[in-house]
Amino acid sequence: MPATTKTTSQLLFNGILSENPIFRLALSMCPAVGITTTVMNGLLLGVAVLFVQVFSGCTIAAIKNHIHPRIRIPTYTLTIATWVTVIDLILAAYLPDAYKQMGIFVKLIVAFAIITMRLETFACKNTVKSSFWDGLGMGLGFLLGMMTLGFVRELLGMGTLFGYDVLGVRPLLFFVLPAAGFFCVGFMMAIFNYVELAYNRSKTAKQS
Amino acid sequence: MKELIRITTSLTLSCLIAGVVMGSVFILTDKAKRHNKQINISQTMLGLLGYDKDNPSPADLELYTVYRYIIEDGAVKTLGYMIPVETGAKGGFELVIIDLAGQFVNRFNLNITPENAAEPPERKAALNAVLKPPKRFTYADSTIIAKRGDKRMAYLLPGAFPGFKTFIHVMLALDPDFTIIGLDITEHEEDPGLGGEIQEDYFKNQFKGKSFERTRELLVIKEPLPKEYKQYLESGKGKELLKGVIDAVRAKYEYKDIYALTGATISSKAVTNGVKEMTSKFAYRLNIMDSVIERQHIPVAF
Repeated sequence: MPATTKTTSQLLFNGILSENPIFRLALSMCPAVGITTTVMNGLLLGVAVLFVQVFSGCTIAAIKNHIHPRIRIPTYTLTIATWVTVIDLILAAYLPDAYKQMGIFVKLIVAFAIITMRLETFACKNTVKSSFWDGLGMGLGFLLGMMTLGFVRELLGMGTLFGYDVLGVRPLLFFVLPAAGFFCVGFMMAIFNYVELAYNRSKTAKQS
Repeated sequence: MKELIRITTSLTLSCLIAGVVMGSVFILTDKAKRHNKQINISQTMLGLLGYDKDNPSPADLELYTVYRYIIEDGAVKTLGYMIPVETGAKGGFELVIIDLAGQFVNRFNLNITPENAAEPPERKAALNAVLKPPKRFTYADSTIIAKRGDKRMAYLLPGAFPGFKTFIHVMLALDPDFTIIGLDITEHEEDPGLGGEIQEDYFKNQFKGKSFERTRELLVIKEPLPKEYKQYLESGKGKELLKGVIDAVRAKYEYKDIYALTGATISSKAVTNGVKEMTSKFAYRLNIMDSVIERQHIPVAF
C-alpha cells in the first residue's frame, strides 16, 4: 500500500465512521464486550487506548526506516507495551481514583488487535503527521464505540448513567453480564450497516 | 549471518530503549504511587472509625500496627508477633514468640524504628537479625490498633477471603468488645452490578453494630431488603433520616441476619463468612496475645 493521499479530516473521520474499530472492523471485541458495563469504564479505557494508539503510531512512523521487516511484529508489540506501561504508571500515580476502577484493564491494551493492526497497515508506511491523525481518528472511534456500548448497557442493566440513578429501576439486569455485550455490539453493527446501505442507496438514487 | 546479527542487535537495542523509557517513568512516578496507596489506606482506616474531611480525626488518636509472622523451626511452628513497645524516646518493636497452644516462648528486642516498620524489607532485615537460620519466617497478617488517650478505641483488621471470582480484600473495624464498627471492601473483582454491589453502603453497612456473639451466628437470608432499612443503611450518603427514625430502624434490624444481594448469593455469603471467620480468629488471637503481654510485662505502646 503506498503512502496515503487522504487529507487530515478524511483520516480523522475514517476511524470514527467508515472504519470504526468496533462496529465496522470488529476488532478488539474483548474489551468491547467485557469492560463496557458502565459509561465511565468505556470512557476511561477509550481515553487510554486513544493515547496508546496515537503515541505508538507516531513512534513507529518515526522509526519505520530502521525496522527490519522480519521483526516488525515484535517491534510493534514492544512499542505498544512500552506506551501501555507508561500510561499505566502515570494513571496509577496521578489519577488514583480512575486507576482503581480500571487498573487491570489498562494492562490488557497491549493485546488489543486494533493497535497492532493500525501500526501494520498504516503507521509503518506513512509519515508521523498522518499517523498522528489516523491514530487520533481510530482512538476516537474506539472511544465513541465503547461509550455507546457503555451507555446502553449501564442504562438498561443498572438504570444509572455515570453512576447517577436515572431510571430508579433496573430494567434488564442481564445487560451487565458479558454475554449481553455481544447483543449490543451486534445491534450496533446492524445499525451501522443499515445506515451505510441507506446512504449508498440514496446516493445511487440521486445519480440515476 | 549478517542478517541474523542485524536482527539481533536491532531487537536488543529496541528492548534496551523500551527498558530505559519504562524504567525512568517508573522512577518518576513511584513516589507518587506509593504516596497514593498510603493515603488510600489511611483514609479507609479513618473512614471506618467515623472520621472524614468534615470531621477530622482528633490529635490524640494514634494508630499502632502489630505484625504477625509464622515462624518455622524444622517441623515446629510458632507465631511471632511484632509488637510496638514504649522504649526510648521514639518507641521501638519487640518480637514476642508464642507457640500454637498459646504459651509464651521467647521475646526479642528488634532494631527497627516505627517509620521503617511499614516497609516489608526493613522488617525482614530486623527479624533476620534475631531469627537465625534454620528458622524461617513468613508474614501472615497485620492488625492496626487505634488508641485515643490511654484507651483502646478500635481494632482495624485488613484481610482477604475468596469471593465468587478472586479474593475479596476488606478492612474490618471492631471495637474493644469485638462489635463490628464498620466494614470496607478495599479490592474485589466481582461482577459489576451483581456481586460488585458488595461495596455499596446498603450491603456492607448491614454488618455495622453486630455484636461478637451475633456475628458468630450470622446467616445470609434471601429476602428482599426492606425499604426503610435500605434508607437507613444509605443514610450516610446525604439521604438523611430523622434522628428518631434512625434509632427505631436500628433497633428493629439490629438482630437481623444479612440480606443477600439480588443475583449474588455467593458473593454475599463469601463476605459474611469471611467477616465471621476474621472476627472469631482475631478475638481468639488477641486474647492470647494480651494475656502473654500481661504476664511478661511487655511495655506495649497500645
